[in-house]
Amino acid sequence: MNRSTRKLSRRQLLGSMTALGVAAGLGARPRAAAAQGAGSLASLGPEEAVDATIRRLFGGRALKDGAAQIKLDLPLIAENGAVVPVTVEVTPPPAAQVKAIYVISDKNRRPLNAKFVFNPGPAAPIIGTNLRLGESTDVRVIAELADGTLLQAKREVKVTVGGCGG
Amino acid sequence: MADIGNVRIRVPGSVKAGDVVRARVLVIHPMEIVERRGGRPVDKNYHFINRVVVTYLGREIAQFETTQSISENPFFAFAFKATEPGQLKVTFLDTHGGKFEGSADIKVT
Repeated sequence: MNRSTRKLSRRQLLGSMTALGVAAGLGARPRAAAAQGAGSLASLGPEEAVDATIRRLFGGRALKDGAAQIKLDLPLIAENGAVVPVTVEVTPPPAAQVKAIYVISDKNRRPLNAKFVFNPGPAAPIIGTNLRLGESTDVRVIAELADGTLLQAKREVKVTVGGCGG
Repeated sequence: MADIGNVRIRVPGSVKAGDVVRARVLVIHPMEIVERRGGRPVDKNYHFINRVVVTYLGREIAQFETTQSISENPFFAFAFKATEPGQLKVTFLDTHGGKFEGSADIKVT
């Protein structure tokens, strides 16, 4: 109880620190009590621009062009933004290990779609899933290697009907 | 709705030791998206899968942190090196405390 209230006020503080966040913070402030639980707005993370997401996830670390190491399969045109299949296959440089793969859609309200974390061992850096895209957007995939190197590849997807409702 | 948490998992019938095996897994789940009323997001405990754990031979090999921007009835494909026969297990955790499991036997020849 105590912990979740502290979390909420930190979120509001963070929100009010960004220029856009002033409005967003007001919008997110609950009228009565805030919803509890892992699916409440406070734990969803802020609605933000993709630059803010990348800063939040990686700080100021440089993103290297990883087009040669990352094979990114996406449709050119997605008729239905609610189901956009993506597959990612990372071929890391020899002796390097892929620690995580991030899938980020630039124009979604909350740009991070998913984070895939691989423990050292048998897992291979190959993933596939279905994304929701709100509108035509760049989809970028960032692979984090065990030594901290960040490789990025991106592709544009044209979306005919958005997948995020309202 | 009654089917929530129904997990389907597909792996090749048999694999050679040392091969990289591709597995596909699907779970029936609404993956609720944020409602907006008058341009503002409604605050409630949205029901979606936020964590997926993959276990092989009793060891966690990967975790996926997922959000609402993954489609309804989410599907995931992943790959791993099969070293010995054993169980592949995928566990889905959602924001309402739901826990859904699916498993498959990896047969190594």
